Amino acid sequence: MSIVKVERTVFSHLDGQRQRELRVDSEGDSFVVTLRGRQTRITIVDPRAWSGTGAGKAASGIAKVATPMPGKVIRVLVALGDKVEPGQGLVVVEAMKMQNELKSPIAGVIKQVQAVEGATVTANQVLAVVESDAS
Amino acid sequence: MFRKVLVANRGEIAVRVMRALREMKIGSVAVYSDVDRNALHVRMADEAIPLGGSASSETYLRGDKIVAAAISCGAEAIHPGYGFLSENADFAALCLASGLVFIGPSASAIEKLGSKTSARDLAKKAGTPIPPGTEEALKSANEAKHIAQEIGYPVILKAAAGGGGKGMRRVEREEDIEAAFRDASSEAERSFRNADVYIEKFIVRPRHIEIQVLGDQFGHMIYLGERECSVQRRHQKVIEEAPSPFIAKYPELRQKMGEAAVAAALAAGYYNAGTVEFLADETGRFYFLEMNTRLQVEHPVTECITGIDLVKWQLRIAAGEHLTIQQDEVSIRGWAMECRLYAEDPDQGFLPSPGEITSLSLPGGPGVRLDSGVYEGWSVPLEYDPLLIKLIVWAETRQDAIARLERALEETHIGGIRTNIEFFLDVLADPAFQAGDLHTGFLDEWFLRRKKHTFSAEDLAAARKAAELAAKGRKIERVEPTARSKWKG
Repeated sequence: MSIVKVERTVFSHLDGQRQRELRVDSEGDSFVVTLRGRQTRITIVDPRAWSGTGAGKAASGIAKVATPMPGKVIRVLVALGDKVEPGQGLVVVEAMKMQNELKSPIAGVIKQVQAVEGATVTANQVLAVVESDAS
Repeated sequence: MFRKVLVANRGEIAVRVMRALREMKIGSVAVYSDVDRNALHVRMADEAIPLGGSASSETYLRGDKIVAAAISCGAEAIHPGYGFLSENADFAALCLASGLVFIGPSASAIEKLGSKTSARDLAKKAGTPIPPGTEEALKSANEAKHIAQEIGYPVILKAAAGGGGKGMRRVEREEDIEAAFRDASSEAERSFRNADVYIEKFIVRPRHIEIQVLGDQFGHMIYLGERECSVQRRHQKVIEEAPSPFIAKYPELRQKMGEAAVAAALAAGYYNAGTVEFLADETGRFYFLEMNTRLQVEHPVTECITGIDLVKWQLRIAAGEHLTIQQDEVSIRGWAMECRLYAEDPDQGFLPSPGEITSLSLPGGPGVRLDSGVYEGWSVPLEYDPLLIKLIVWAETRQDAIARLERALEETHIGGIRTNIEFFLDVLADPAFQAGDLHTGFLDEWFLRRKKHTFSAEDLAAARKAAELAAKGRKIERVEPTARSKWKG
């Protein structure tokens, strides 16, 4: 087996005579590896490099609602303290003529609203936090 | 011929037009928004003029700013590309009134063909087949019911001022028509401030086949064969090809549709490049859908099979030259196919995926044409259309073209953002696609039977090895700044 870096983000892998070219792009804490146009995501666990804050993952009874795409906040549909139902729209983000409504995954109360109309947001940025009212 | 032309567009089409200008030794002028200062179309131009602002509505849609820019730099003509101001009759008229040549048809032809009802009316008078139905707005649900009985269900109600699927209702049975009429009218009123709705026979499993026409200002017009664009997602074409596999089956249709298209276009006093869109049913009957009074996104497939450069002819025709190609000199050779590579994420409902292109590899070799608007290190802005690159291939047969397109897609890599490359690889592998068994609902049906690629254990092992090596490299590189904050902005 032999693997060599042939370009900044490209590796050539030889398994016996079988050659594969792999393109590796980093995306957050993981890598997107492309092999002849086909992609897979690979996470390399390295405790020293670990910087995770757990953002986006729901702690018990708390849902952090993040935008899956970068864009511009065009509407904020809720305010602090509002009661929301599961599936209720919280924030609308627009990019490239497409609008995406972020919905609450749970029933609860709005604990935080980080979205401001007109603001530019990045992918995975948390825009609202909902706390379950079941507790 | 012109000495200097302003290109009122951005992205790959602005680059395409500038390439033609460069080859014709004509000076090119780009216009750009604030976020497009470092865009590829600016880099390609001889001169570049800022429009001020970022949103389309303050930049590429501002006819007044663009005309002022053209006058200030001494350009004689404006090429509008597609989208933005390309089908805006007022803009064409403003160019003329400002002493500039609009590279396209006359304002009056754009206007006549812009409204669906007036275009249908014109096509009908020219003897071009139109779908059975009304040309005028329906007065009541009762009238709709009456006409539907005559032409037979299913029928479709459409907003007269409409587009993009708004104000449209398909009706299968008589008992549903009243509610559908109400819904379509109110949606039309809300979307277009015009409640007018007309009725048409609904064509089951139609193919979208369009004819490219090219005509000069002296009444000479030819057709350059057809393109099939039946592979669509939400009325947006994603794969186009020429010729059409359907017309390969019914070869007499090409001439019939071509002549019908030319007749309809000439009836509107049309000149320059244009496209007449038809729907064809399974039996080979075809109906006028609409005319696009501009260069189409998918024009390269026609260029590949005819060897005719549409943009150069647009420029010559606009400059008042005669079209010197006769209909019997147009011949069709081989097969061409185009994929529109978008910055979007097919795994997340095709959400837009703007951002920095951190790595880029482009395909080459025989029969590959690449119309790109991007480069490595450039950030795809979120303000505009997500089209990045058009990948076009030419080969001797359709089967060879599919294999070549698959090969070229595998060579293409756009890193850092999500694209639809893998989605195309899956579509090309579909047996119905390979058989040319297409219709406008093709993708909706295909999504249900889509076979996703799975990696072998050996592939995955190699991928992991490569990722591990990249992770080691990253740690060394990451010594300088800390991880990029997700909280800026």
